[in-house]
This record gives sequence, structure tokens and C-alpha cells, in this order.
Amino acid sequence: MRNLRDLTAIIGIGNSKYERLSASVSPLVPLVTAFKNALDNAGIERSEVDGLLVNIGTPFGVDYDQVSEAFGLNIHFSDQTWTHGRQMATVLAHAAMAVEAGLANYVACVCSINWARAGTVGTLGQFQDDREIGGAHFEHPHYGMTSPGGAWAMGARKYFDRYGATSRDLAEVCVSTRKHAMLNPAAVMKQPLTVEEHQESRYVCEPLHLYDYCLTVGGACVVIVTTAERAKNGPHKPIYLMGMQGMCAGREEATGARPGLGINQQDEHYPVPHPRDLEVYKMAGVNHEDIDAFYTYDAMSSIVWMSLERFGFCKPGEAWQFVKNGRIAPGGALPVNTHGGLLSEVHVSGWNHVCEMVRQLRGECGERQVPNAEVLQWGTNRGDSLILRR
Amino acid sequence: MNQTIAKPLPNISDFNRPFWEGAKKHEFCLQRCNQCSKVWAPNGPVCPFCFSTDYRWDKLSGRGKIASWVVFHKLYHPGFAADVPYNVAFIEMAEGPRIIANIVGTPNKDLHIGDPVEVTFEDVTADISIPRFRKV
Repeated sequence: MRNLRDLTAIIGIGNSKYERLSASVSPLVPLVTAFKNALDNAGIERSEVDGLLVNIGTPFGVDYDQVSEAFGLNIHFSDQTWTHGRQMATVLAHAAMAVEAGLANYVACVCSINWARAGTVGTLGQFQDDREIGGAHFEHPHYGMTSPGGAWAMGARKYFDRYGATSRDLAEVCVSTRKHAMLNPAAVMKQPLTVEEHQESRYVCEPLHLYDYCLTVGGACVVIVTTAERAKNGPHKPIYLMGMQGMCAGREEATGARPGLGINQQDEHYPVPHPRDLEVYKMAGVNHEDIDAFYTYDAMSSIVWMSLERFGFCKPGEAWQFVKNGRIAPGGALPVNTHGGLLSEVHVSGWNHVCEMVRQLRGECGERQVPNAEVLQWGTNRGDSLILRR
Repeated sequence: MNQTIAKPLPNISDFNRPFWEGAKKHEFCLQRCNQCSKVWAPNGPVCPFCFSTDYRWDKLSGRGKIASWVVFHKLYHPGFAADVPYNVAFIEMAEGPRIIANIVGTPNKDLHIGDPVEVTFEDVTADISIPRFRKV
């Protein structure tokens, strides 16, 4: 594998206001604001953007052709991922590879979501209920298995049973995440949350309570990537992509679980962490101790446990203890999702996370600033990862 | 007026038609590879282990154990209005693969991972019988 360490950088980020929109509002509308903000932030002209990568298309996101046409772009390198989340890190890696290979100079990575257009997520007819061999979250409508949360509930139950954890332990993740959000003016959920409130909240899909679920409030984010060489000309210090690795797929991977948990067709004896999952640290030339904060796709609270174990921050079955006593909260040894994540800031499919990582590395985060943040990691239960540095 | 909204029926495709033909006869069938002899789920066009397209639909024991289970409290589809809170489980079949189904005949509070179960069929229409599981 060629080492891409520090060859590419993020030079600009932009987002819209994070708010609940009515279904009549096209996700193109908040994207205008995010796109303008990102161009200003990067210090480039719209005409200089020659690459466009879109994560999540219609009906509740935007499509690459529509964005290019509507915004008057002249794109030579475009692509689009499926209408699910998950893909932020792989899309950014794709952008980095494109600029490094000279296929484009400035790639705008785009995500805009109007969740109102998705209706109630989990109702029939959504998320590939009818896809042959099953939906992306084990959807089986004839058994009433229809929501993404159902898959995460399966993983949480299995984890509780196998490692002796409880819903009360999971609440620690939600409470710590909310504490981060309370320091973030842009976060949608800023009211304090206690373990008791989490426990008293209704079940959606048991054993998951309401507060284990992310928000379905969206918005738009744009991230602009170029080569390290070009990045030197911008108004901000470049944020370098130190390390990256792709998303794993196959029979050892499952929604709601990290490998080895025993969900869907997973082998319960699969090694965790798998050496392959630690390659990102080699590319970046850093170790776990160098990571100042960790970011993950917290569509459901339990992904925090799954991801910390997958990347070896603790041993399999220990994450529920690892996250206690404020370790992942503001001021903790390993803050996780310092903006409040999908659980408490907003759900722009992980793109709000990378915007936060850039702001932290630039030292722009005010009250929630991680002191002297130099190296931050993104990683999920599916093994995809990014390591960014200032 | 009390109008009952039907539950969704399974989506029957070329990949899984033999599964539902078996279910209609109250037989629980999965694909077994004629080359490597392994059984797999979910249904698909090729053996995921040895990539052979030479397979047969085999009647299985119908026995397994609960691998994980959840209880839907939120009503996502009106057809389940009378059922909430209802369970959905991953069943690990004795032959190895894990499949999704409901467990019937036991209150949700008495379900546990590892509980042994066996298949039972509900004839939901003249043509479709849905396999569910009961504790043994």
C-alpha cells in the first residue's frame, strides 16, 4: 500500500444551520449555504471546484448531477454513494486519492439531508425492505423487523448478554455525548440529560431507549479537499489527512455490531482488534496515545462501544467500563464526539463530525475546545477510519 | 368502523421462492452447496463459501437457539398495531446460519439468548405460510 500520509488536506468546511425542515424544502436549499461557507472557508472560487463527491442521494439527500447543474459547477470528477450514511470516511479518502492522482484539483464532498423527506425512518418501503437477500439493517417486514434501530438493538442485547453490561451502562454514552453538545451552540439538543432520564425514557426497540437513538434533524455540510501543496495557499492552516482506511464488508460485518459479536453471520471468535483494522495508525505514524479525541458514527449509542473495541482502545467486552467516569466526556482522557455527534448535535451522516474535527484542530471550538488538539481519529464499527492532524 | 390493516407479506423473488414453497409445506429449507456441503443464509444466488452455483434447497432440522432478540415498542407499520410490543429474534439454526424470525408462545420477558427453539408455521394466506419459532 502506498503511504498517503500528509499528501492531502482539508482546506475548507461549511455547514448550514442545523434545524428541522418541512418536507417541502429541497435539501439543495441548505446546501447552498454550506457550499458558500465552504468556498469562503477554503479561500477558493466556485469555478475552481472541479471534483464533486456526494454522500446520500434522493429522496432525502441530493444527487451529484442535480447539485452540479443547480450550482453552475464545472465538474470533471464526480461520484455518489448509496442512500445510507456510513460513508463519510470513504468518501473523503476517495477525494484525497483523486486530488493526489491529479484527477481533480479541488474536490467538494457534499452531504445534505432533509429527514422530513424520509418520513418516519423504519416504516415500510424504506431502506431496502424488499432488497434481495435483505435490507441493510436486516429488514424483514413480514416479521415486523423494519427499522435501523432494530439491528442496533440486536447488537446491544447480544453485547449485554455476552459481557454483563446493561442499558444503564449504555446511558453513560448518551449522557457524556450530551455534555459535549451542551458546550456547542450549534447542537440541536442542549438540555442536560441524566442516566435516570435515559432509563425512564420509552423503549423504541428494546433494549434501546429513546435517548439511545440519534436525531433525525438534518442540514448540509461541505468539505473541500486538495493536495498538501495547494493547501498552503489557503486562508487557514491545512488540516492534513494523515491516515485513512476503507470500510470493511462481508460476512464478518454487521449493522449494530463490530466483528466477532455474533450478529447476523458473524463468527463469534473473530479476532478483535483485527490487525488489518490497525493499519490506519501505521499510515498516520501515530499510536492510540496520540489520539486527542475520537469520533464515530453514533446513529445509536452502542456504536461507541463497538468502535472503541474494534480499534483497540480497550479489549473486547470492556468498552462499557472504559466509557465510565467521564473518560469520553468533556475533559476526559479520550473525549468522543466533542460536538455532540448524531445523538445530540445533528444527523448529517458523519459530515458534521468531520467539520467538528477540523474546527477542533484549528482551535476554533471555544468552550468545548480540546486543549492542544493535534491528532484526531474517526473510526466506526465497520472499520473505516481517518486520522487528521493540524 | 374497525378496519384491520394487513401485515406485510414476504417479498418472494427468484432467490427465495423455494424457501416459501417449502414453508407452504411446513418445511424449513435453506440452500446447501453441492460442492462444499455448507448451508447458508440469507438466500442468495451462489454459495458464499466456495462460490459455486451448484446448490440445492435442503430441509433443515427446524431447530436452533436464540442468538439475540429485541422487542419493538414503537409501531412502525399499522399491521402490527395489535402486536406491539412484539419480539423479533436472530435464530441460530442447528446447521449454523442465523435467520430473522419471531418467537411465539412465550412472553417476551421469558426470552433469553441461548434458549432452544423449533420452527412452527403460520398459514397467513392460502399460499403463504410464515415460519416462526417456539421455545422447546
